[in-house]
Amino acid sequence: MAQNESIQALTEQEYKHGWVTHIDADQVPAGLSEDVVRLISGKKNEPEWLLQWRLRAYRHWLTMKEPTWQKPHYPKIDYQSVIYYSAPKPKKELSSLDEVDPELLATFEKLGISLDEQKRLSGVATNVAVDVVFDSVSVKTTFQEELKKAGIIFCSFSEAVHNHPELVKKYLGTVVPFTDNFFATLNSAVFSDGSFCYIPKGVRCPMELSTYFRINSAGTGQFERTLLIADEGSHVSYLEGCTAPSRDENQLHAAVVELVALKGSTIKYSTVQNWYPGDKDGKGGVYNFVTKRGMAEQDAKLSWTQVETGSAITWKYPSCILKGDNSVGEFYSVAMTRDYQQADTGTKMIHIGRNTKSTIISKGISAGHGDQTYRGQVKILKSATGARNFSACDSLLLGDKCGAHTVPYIESNNAGAVIEHEASTSKISDEQIFFLRQRGLSEEDAVNLIVNGFCKDVLSELPMEFAVEAQKLLGLKLEGAVG
Amino acid sequence: MTQPLLEISNLHVAINGTEILHGINLTVNAGEVHAIMGTNGSGKSTLTKVIAGHPDYVVTSGDIKLRGVSILEQEPEDRARAGVFLAFQYPVEVPGVSNMYFLRTALNAHRKHRGQPELSGAEFLALVKEKARLVDIDAGLLNRSVNEGFSGGEKKRNEILQCACWNRHWRSWMKPTAAWTSMP
Repeated sequence: MAQNESIQALTEQEYKHGWVTHIDADQVPAGLSEDVVRLISGKKNEPEWLLQWRLRAYRHWLTMKEPTWQKPHYPKIDYQSVIYYSAPKPKKELSSLDEVDPELLATFEKLGISLDEQKRLSGVATNVAVDVVFDSVSVKTTFQEELKKAGIIFCSFSEAVHNHPELVKKYLGTVVPFTDNFFATLNSAVFSDGSFCYIPKGVRCPMELSTYFRINSAGTGQFERTLLIADEGSHVSYLEGCTAPSRDENQLHAAVVELVALKGSTIKYSTVQNWYPGDKDGKGGVYNFVTKRGMAEQDAKLSWTQVETGSAITWKYPSCILKGDNSVGEFYSVAMTRDYQQADTGTKMIHIGRNTKSTIISKGISAGHGDQTYRGQVKILKSATGARNFSACDSLLLGDKCGAHTVPYIESNNAGAVIEHEASTSKISDEQIFFLRQRGLSEEDAVNLIVNGFCKDVLSELPMEFAVEAQKLLGLKLEGAVG
Repeated sequence: MTQPLLEISNLHVAINGTEILHGINLTVNAGEVHAIMGTNGSGKSTLTKVIAGHPDYVVTSGDIKLRGVSILEQEPEDRARAGVFLAFQYPVEVPGVSNMYFLRTALNAHRKHRGQPELSGAEFLALVKEKARLVDIDAGLLNRSVNEGFSGGEKKRNEILQCACWNRHWRSWMKPTAAWTSMP
C-alpha cells in the first residue's frame, strides 16, 4: 500500500516544455471548409494539382466517420473549432530567407535544439541535421548545403513542393493514400508543412536527419506530413521529436509519415514523442492521431523505433508493407502512460513478398491512472512464402490503478509462414525495490533502473544521441518531488 | 569502552498487526562475528530484514543503533550507505540491467554519500576485476543482467561481490544461509 503511494508520487512530475513563445501568428479562422483548404493551399502558393489532391481528400473526409474501435475514450472533437493553419509572423522584415526570427531561435535553443550549424554537438562523432516545424510551418532546415553535396534533399515539405515537384507528385500518397483513414484523410486535406527527404541511389546519408515539431499557438491543430524516399541501395537514419505548451484545452495533432524504401535501401525512423500529456487530473493535453507507414521493395529494410511518453491520447501504428521479396520490417516501441494518459499503439506488418521478415518488440509502462493498449496486426498474404514474424509485447505496471492490454491480430494465408508471439505483464515488485534500496539506491533511482532495464531492448535501437535523451526523458517522467 | 558497532535493545516487531519478534537484545562489537541460529520461523530472517529497514515490518518498541545512532527512522538506502549490508536469501533479478552497470550505479551512490567523487570507467573496471577475483566470480556474469539466469551459487557470490565493492571494512550484516557451507 505504502509502496503504491510512493510509486505514484514518483511518477508525478511537471512537464518541462509547457511554456509558450509569445509571437504574433498569421492564422486562418477556426473551422474547416473547402475555402479553408483553398486558403491554406493559397498561403503556400501551391500548384493546382496539389490543391485538387487536397480538395479530393477533403470531400472524401466528409463521407468518413471517426473511428471508435480504439480503447481510449475522449469527448467528441469539434472539428469546426480547430484552427488549421497558424504561422509565426516575424516581428521585422527578415533580410534573407535563411534568417530566422530571433524569438524562434530562442524557442528552439530553450528546447535544446540548436539551429546554428557552427554549434555541433560536442563530443559526438555524428552530426544531426534538423528541420524545425513551429505550428504550421517549417522554420529552418540546417546542413542543407552539406547534404546537397551528397545529392541528398532534406527540406520542408513546402520547399519540396516548389523545388522538387516531380518527386513529391510521384510519391505523395503512394504509401498512405488520401482515402486511408479518418485522420490521415483530414491531414491530406489540411496538412501545412513537414519534412521531405530524398536519398539518392547508393548514398549512405552522412548524418542523422531529424525534424523537431513544436505546437505553440492555442486552439491550433498541427497537421504535418513527412515524406521520406530512400532510393535503391541507400541508407538513412531519421529522428523526430515533439513538444507543446501546457494548455487546459486539448489540442489536435494528426500527422502522416510516408516512407518509401526502394530496392535494397534501409530506412531507420526514430521518434521521441513528448507532446503535452495534460495535467495530473487529466485536463488538457495533445490528442495525437498519427498514421505512419512504410513500403519496402525488394531487399529493403524499414525500422521504426518509438519512445512515446507524451500526449493525452496516443493513437499510432507505424506499419510496414513488406512488398518486395526478402524485405524486412522492424518495430521497437516504448510507450509510457501516467496520470490519465491513454495510449493505443502498435504496428502492422503486412507480408506480401517472399521470405519477408518482421520483428515487433513493444514495451508498455503504465503508472498512475495511465491506460495503454498494444494493438498490432501481422498479416501474411498467400504470396509471402517463407515469411517470418516474431512479436514480443511486454507490459510493466507501476501501482494498482493503471491498465495494460494486448490486442494482437494475426492472419496467415500461407501455411509455410512462421509466426511467433510472446506477451507478458509484470509489476515492479516491492522486493526488487527493497533489494536495490538495500544496495544504496534511492527509491526513485531504483524504479528508474528497473524501468530502464525493462526498455533496454528498445532503447538500444535508438541512435546514440537520442538513446541518452530518451533515457533521460523516461527518468524525468518518473521523477518525484524529491531533490 | 568503545562504542558497539550494532546495538539492538528490546526489539519488538510486528507485521500486519501480529507481533513476531518479542524483545530481542544483541550487541555486536567491531571485529566480531556472530551467527544467529534457530528453528524455522523463529525470526532470523525477520531480524535481518528489520535491521535493513524492510517496509513490511513495523518496530513497535525497542531500538536499533548503528555506531550509537538509532537507524529506525532511516530509509533502507540510508542504512545501506551507513554500512548495513543484507545478503539476500533469494537475491532478486533485475532484467535488462547489466550487473556491471548496477554495481557502478550502487557504488557511486555509496561514494556520493561519503563525499567521494564518482569513479571513472577505468577505475571502476579495475576495482570490479580485483573484487571479482577475490570472490572467485566468473567475469562473464558481470555483463549479464543482475542475477538473471544465475545459479544459486552464482547469486550468492554476486551478493558478496556487491558487498566487497562498497563496504570498505566488510563489517556488514550477512544473511545466514545453507549455501554458505559450500563457499570456499
